[in-house]
Amino acid sequence: MSQPTRMAKGSRMLRLSARGLIRDLRAADVRALFMALALAVAASTMIGFFLDRLDRGLTRQAGQLLGGDLVLEQSRPFDTELRRTLEEAGLTLSDQVDMVSMVRHDQAFQPASLKIVDSVYPHYGQNRVDLGEGVEPLAHGPSPGEVWLAPRLALLLEVAVGDSVQVGQMELEVGGLIEREADQSAGFGSFNPRLMMHIDDMDATDLVQEGSRVEYELLAAGPAEAVARVAPLVERLRRDGVEVQDVSRDRPQLGSALERAEKYLSLAGLAAVLLAGVAVAMATRRYVDRHLDTAALMRCFGATQAELTRLFSLQLLWLALAASAVGAVLGLVGQAALLRLLSTFLSLELPPPGLLPLLMGVFTALAVLVGFAGPTLLRLKKVSALKVLRRELDPLPASAWLVLAMASLVFGGLLWLYSGDLWLSVGLLVGGLVMLGVLWGLGSLLLGGVLRLASALPRRGGQEGGLAQALRLGGQQLARRRSASLGQLLAFSVTFFAMAMIVMVRGDLVSTWQEQLPEDTPNYFAINIQPAEREAFAEVLEGAADARSALYPMVRGRITAINDQDPREAVPAESRSDHALRRELNLTWQDSLPEGNRVVAGKWFDELENEAGWYSEVQAEASVERVPISMEDGLAERFGLALGDTLTFTIGSAEVVGELTSLRSLNWDSFRPNFYVIFPPGVLERFGHSYITAFHLEDGESETQRRLVQEFPGVSLLNVDAILGQVRDVLTQVTRAVELVLGFVLLAGVSVLYAALTASRPVRAHESGLLRVFGASNRLLARVQGAEFAILGLASGLMGALLAELAAAAIYVVWLDLVPRVHWGMWLTLPLGGALLIGAIGQLLSRGLRRQAPAASLSLLGEA
Amino acid sequence: MTNASRTDVTPILHVDHLDKEVDSGERRLTILSDLRLTVFPGESVAILGQSGAGKSTLLGLLAGLDAPTRGELALFGQSLAALDEDGRARLRAGRVGFVFQNFQLLPTLTALENVLLPLELSPQPDAEQRAREWLTRVGLGERLDHLPKQLSGGEQQRVALARAFVTGAELVFADEPTGNLDPATGERIIEALFDLNHQAGTTLVLVTHDHALARRCDRCLHLEGGRLVERMPEEVSA
Repeated sequence: MSQPTRMAKGSRMLRLSARGLIRDLRAADVRALFMALALAVAASTMIGFFLDRLDRGLTRQAGQLLGGDLVLEQSRPFDTELRRTLEEAGLTLSDQVDMVSMVRHDQAFQPASLKIVDSVYPHYGQNRVDLGEGVEPLAHGPSPGEVWLAPRLALLLEVAVGDSVQVGQMELEVGGLIEREADQSAGFGSFNPRLMMHIDDMDATDLVQEGSRVEYELLAAGPAEAVARVAPLVERLRRDGVEVQDVSRDRPQLGSALERAEKYLSLAGLAAVLLAGVAVAMATRRYVDRHLDTAALMRCFGATQAELTRLFSLQLLWLALAASAVGAVLGLVGQAALLRLLSTFLSLELPPPGLLPLLMGVFTALAVLVGFAGPTLLRLKKVSALKVLRRELDPLPASAWLVLAMASLVFGGLLWLYSGDLWLSVGLLVGGLVMLGVLWGLGSLLLGGVLRLASALPRRGGQEGGLAQALRLGGQQLARRRSASLGQLLAFSVTFFAMAMIVMVRGDLVSTWQEQLPEDTPNYFAINIQPAEREAFAEVLEGAADARSALYPMVRGRITAINDQDPREAVPAESRSDHALRRELNLTWQDSLPEGNRVVAGKWFDELENEAGWYSEVQAEASVERVPISMEDGLAERFGLALGDTLTFTIGSAEVVGELTSLRSLNWDSFRPNFYVIFPPGVLERFGHSYITAFHLEDGESETQRRLVQEFPGVSLLNVDAILGQVRDVLTQVTRAVELVLGFVLLAGVSVLYAALTASRPVRAHESGLLRVFGASNRLLARVQGAEFAILGLASGLMGALLAELAAAAIYVVWLDLVPRVHWGMWLTLPLGGALLIGAIGQLLSRGLRRQAPAASLSLLGEA
Repeated sequence: MTNASRTDVTPILHVDHLDKEVDSGERRLTILSDLRLTVFPGESVAILGQSGAGKSTLLGLLAGLDAPTRGELALFGQSLAALDEDGRARLRAGRVGFVFQNFQLLPTLTALENVLLPLELSPQPDAEQRAREWLTRVGLGERLDHLPKQLSGGEQQRVALARAFVTGAELVFADEPTGNLDPATGERIIEALFDLNHQAGTTLVLVTHDHALARRCDRCLHLEGGRLVERMPEEVSA
């Protein structure tokens, strides 16, 4: 064939396929295909646009978000020698100090997250601050003598610009309210509202004492070559226990949360894609059945198999492209909604949506078509021309196993593409197929039960047999259409299960956990209690607090060697980024075993005295090569440590080597101060330290709180209830975002219902026609259909509730170590809600069928 | 135009001046014109006509599945014009049986369940027992749990026969009951149909193009040019 002929043929095929699709648009199965593909694209592009914008925004502003190109952090000031080296390398330096402290105004006081900055701050970007005349961008921090507050802190203290607040020993003027900081350092994840002040005022506040919990940051900015020049020094600092963040290697604090969000949000979106795929598979069966006669006729007129394949493939390609356009628009709207829901955490300027997520969305639509519809579409290719004379000559349906295999392969590919994790994808796919098998079995049992129950209902007399008759006939219809009903049952059960989990996580988890805590569980933590204040503090608490823990001394130290090896090399691979290695630990010393701790291996310090005798040597502060230490058993397990292993701690500029002589188990939920590592007395006292304690105050004890804050201005009081409330708020916001994604999953479930309806339309029409011939009124037919969908919804709700209850029990027992409880409310709402929702939607979608019942009965007459 | 005068008995079917027109694009087609028919209980009536004559349309009207354009139609002495669709359905329930050319069994139901279907709408005591008995009467007592795809054409039509009579219907409509069967099987079905009809004492209205079958009925009506013409059975040529 010559080139022009081929081109003419090609363009004729394009026109023919487009015309065919336009004519076909009124068909219910084509509408179902369109809806399913559009939803698949909407779900994937919504998350794709959202994450892509976030990713590009963070990368673009990485330096700004970090606060510099290189950020060093430790719990003591940085020395002059280091500063000189960095400056000589060509870097500009800025100092910052972070700590938590109480802020007071008149009778009101709040813990605040202090950010103490110098005059160089910020290296990059601008703060957005309201100095009293509206929010404006400022490329500097507060001046000496003034503070900037987060609006929430100002509200809690009931102050405005121009008022004064007490920070430690100093009174400072509120110079402005911070709407957005130039960087995000220490901002994300901190539950205390921000107070920003100048570093020149720090000494006057007298907040920084020996042993106070303070983080010093040195932010360096400069060209990449300058950062590269100091790389060896930085590596040495890292080994010495300094925390380092390098903009070229590390992502800002939001980054690790973002990576996890990328993975799991994408997977949630893929749930919608999966359901859409199921809908595509169902609708395609009907599409193919409808076109068998057309295909046979075209074969009669001379079309080859290849031409037939091309024609129908092109039609569906047009459909997929049109659906992608609609889906992308929905995705854009969805990502805007997501951003709005998460705006509290994402105070960044984001670039506009990019092209890549759109292309991924189109690719997803095509992949779904190929994977879920491909094998079924091939039937059209196999149609014989003889079918025009012998109507019963239909090509065999595609093997169900082939359809499942193809769909699994394509979906597995999509899982990998979106999650970027091969083994997670394989695990999810295999696990999903196993779950599918289990749920299929469970669903079959449930449908069998529905059939038995429905058949047991009495045959009521006459047309107005009412509810019993409708339930009987509807239940029987649902149970007899097994495959289609099972597909819908699974789709809706899984959706309801996911939604129930969201509600439980949001509302139930935190409050159930709180409810199971003993009544006098501590609800306040006090930190930064200086040694000199210890006794006086304990005295105030004595009369007022219901229950209190001991006052524990605390020293900050970092693990810098394990068995004389680099800690990252000494621990198993999966523990290399454990937070206990990345940050300084709170080390304490105790002579007796703390409350709530239990020795599970080795011996406590006082038992060692009798054996080795060197415990008393330690008390005498003699220098020993290794001191006995006790470690929490979970940490020891994560690090692969056993009794006899040694750990080197760097505290300040000194090193202390400890040998594991006991392992302890403890209850992290006790709300008492708990420690990973405990030293015996006589080792750490020489280092600067402060005390921590926890206690329970009744609601009416505000006088005690006020007294504590006034008499001990350096001590920070953290209200656990307030923190838990904020945790709940964060969970609420995040779960709302996930709910938005689940909304798409639910819509995809509805598309499965719609597709199932279109696929079963001829059968339903046949049944309705026959029932009408035998004397069923339209009202009865409507009731029967309504009953069928309501029972489907009820059964889906039941299965969803069962799955949610099992998952919740597993979470309670395995993860939270709580006694599981039955959620009676869920067992009521899910089935009833499901019955109402699916019943209503099903009734709406099958309206056309009821209108056609008279014609359907007439079509039974004569040749079918 | 046809009539049999039995003034003491209420006709089971009465049609007077019945017209049926349908829209076909821009034209209006007359399918049936000025039709008159009266059928008394217990009669067997054959309606003959060529393909496209309007037999199925007439059957749909007589059964109350469709409404005429003009004219009167009464079923069981009740005027159908006074009834809406639901009313016509209620009238049919349990009193009218159907035998279709394509059997019209539901593929997902067993033979027994198919026969039970009309009893869902017109329940009777011991419904299942009745259904079993009727299936036994048509020779399928051992095939109760078989799906239609497991039955031959003749067997499926026998299930349909059992279904038509199980409710104790007063009137049975049969639409080309042997149209999809080979002659030998068809003959057996017809024998069964007339046998059951005789046993049950029902009125039978049979639509067919088979003249031999028509001759077995009490009355033969020809649908020609949209009108009904009665001829004696013996006048119906092969």
